[in-house]
Amino acid sequence: MARNPLKDQLAVVGIGSTPYGRDLQRSHLSLGLEAAIAAIRDAGIDKNEIDGICGSGMTPLAQGGSGFLSLQGALGIDEITWGKNSWLGSCFVYAAETVFSGLSDMCLVVQTYVRDPGMSRSAHADPFRRNLTKFGDIGGDIGGSDFAKRWVHSGEPYAGWMRRYMHDYGVNKDAFAYLAVNSRSHGARNPAAVMQQPITLDDYHASRQIWEPMQMLDMDVPVDCAEAFVITTAERARDMTDKPVLIHAMSLGGTRVGEFYENSLPWTENAFWVTLKGLWARSELKLDDIDLFFPYDGYTIDGVGVTEAAGYCKPGECGDFFKDNWDEARQVLRLNGKCEVMTHGGGLGMGRAGGANYFSEAVRQMRGQEGARQIARVPEAALIAIGSFFHDPCAVVLRT
Amino acid sequence: MRNYGPIDDFTVIELYSDVQVNRDNVEYYRGLAERKLLINRCGDCGTWIYPHRPICPECWSWNIKAEEVSGLGSVFMWTTLMQQRSPSAPHEPVPVAAVDFAEQKGLRYLSRIVNCRPEDIYHDMPVQLTWIEIGNLEWPAFEPISDSGRGGTR
Ligand SMILES: [Zn+2]
Repeated sequence: MARNPLKDQLAVVGIGSTPYGRDLQRSHLSLGLEAAIAAIRDAGIDKNEIDGICGSGMTPLAQGGSGFLSLQGALGIDEITWGKNSWLGSCFVYAAETVFSGLSDMCLVVQTYVRDPGMSRSAHADPFRRNLTKFGDIGGDIGGSDFAKRWVHSGEPYAGWMRRYMHDYGVNKDAFAYLAVNSRSHGARNPAAVMQQPITLDDYHASRQIWEPMQMLDMDVPVDCAEAFVITTAERARDMTDKPVLIHAMSLGGTRVGEFYENSLPWTENAFWVTLKGLWARSELKLDDIDLFFPYDGYTIDGVGVTEAAGYCKPGECGDFFKDNWDEARQVLRLNGKCEVMTHGGGLGMGRAGGANYFSEAVRQMRGQEGARQIARVPEAALIAIGSFFHDPCAVVLRT
Repeated sequence: MRNYGPIDDFTVIELYSDVQVNRDNVEYYRGLAERKLLINRCGDCGTWIYPHRPICPECWSWNIKAEEVSGLGSVFMWTTLMQQRSPSAPHEPVPVAAVDFAEQKGLRYLSRIVNCRPEDIYHDMPVQLTWIEIGNLEWPAFEPISDSGRGGTR
């Protein structure tokens, strides 16, 4: 076991989400502020109790975004003792660790996503969206005319990995297809989801090839949205609510691949395996205890990687595992007879939030607040794993 | 074929103005301008280093020199881009491959596959370096090594 001094010492006490839409015609900051206000109100605190902010993106001084500087100013929060920007899975972990360290007692995380011009042809045609990239917050040179640098922060290698995975393990696309159908089935039951139409396995296979063999329905849906959370100490959380959602264990994960993704390590050595190994070395709750599972679905190959790295099945066996754990009547996954997967529709069904909507869904389900979508037996433990094969992965176990 | 000959740093930066040329990778771009594919290599332990960085990850030597590679390798993984982001981009499928160089296990370079139909590409397919002209510059690309051991048409 690795050390886990933060076990059950931290809690998520506020969550806030904006509507999701394909074209909300709003700035990052506007979306971020709506989610932030909702999360602070959900926590039932005064805004000036917030003393740490984790904003969106990778560049502290990015203009026009929802970085911590802009958020603090716009929200009128007088003083913070910790500020940082981040994204994907790492944002949640950074905020939690700063509360644990004492640099902040009440930390706000705000994550905004917009349908950016690199993600779709129609978005590319919108001059405001195109202009965003000039001040883009990933930053730096992503290749220019040098084709050899094309896979620095690129989704295309995931397409290469889909083929390599099928080749190395002698499998078909079943694993990817089940994940896609699962998310869309759940999305169709979630009024907030952008994709309201469920799909069939046949629809999945018939969808357009984008980066062959990756198809349209393997890719999360670019939307305009924001999510926000408030994280504080478990002690404080118990003053605020009877049944706080606690952070039981978490891990980040990095490998020596670096920023050129063609230098990928073998399948079972990518960052998800490092992250999940780090998590299980710290968590007293184990896979059998998990009632709710959120495997990152930026691309379906991510979700397959997370499922295998989490230990649900052996590498290469995810397709068979999903087939054996498929609820035909509901067209969703139900793992080992108890664990529901991506109950809000995830990135493939609800919309792309870099995984941030997994936390809000998990917390609402664990509070028993999902109304018509509430899982009958209120889940007590959730596993969330978000990120890239190459950067910013996290794995988190939440419990009540 | 174009041959720029030995060229100075200013010219390299000008030729590749939309790429972040720095002191760690300038020899690579100077090499491209001279139609040579150069990869950084440790002068002490011989490890090839890519992407171009100023130290050796194995022995931490700073004695790094760019060296020409054989141009022989095999396809580690690939995808065929069926859609470019910009609607004004050409519509033909573009095969993109991560090529494992023969020089060192895991020494891998991203490039186009040319002189080969996308459906004929396969994992571990032997390939060799060739050059293609794009935007008035010559860039590396890879083509299948034919059964006779020689390359495709040039
Ligand atoms: Zn060395």
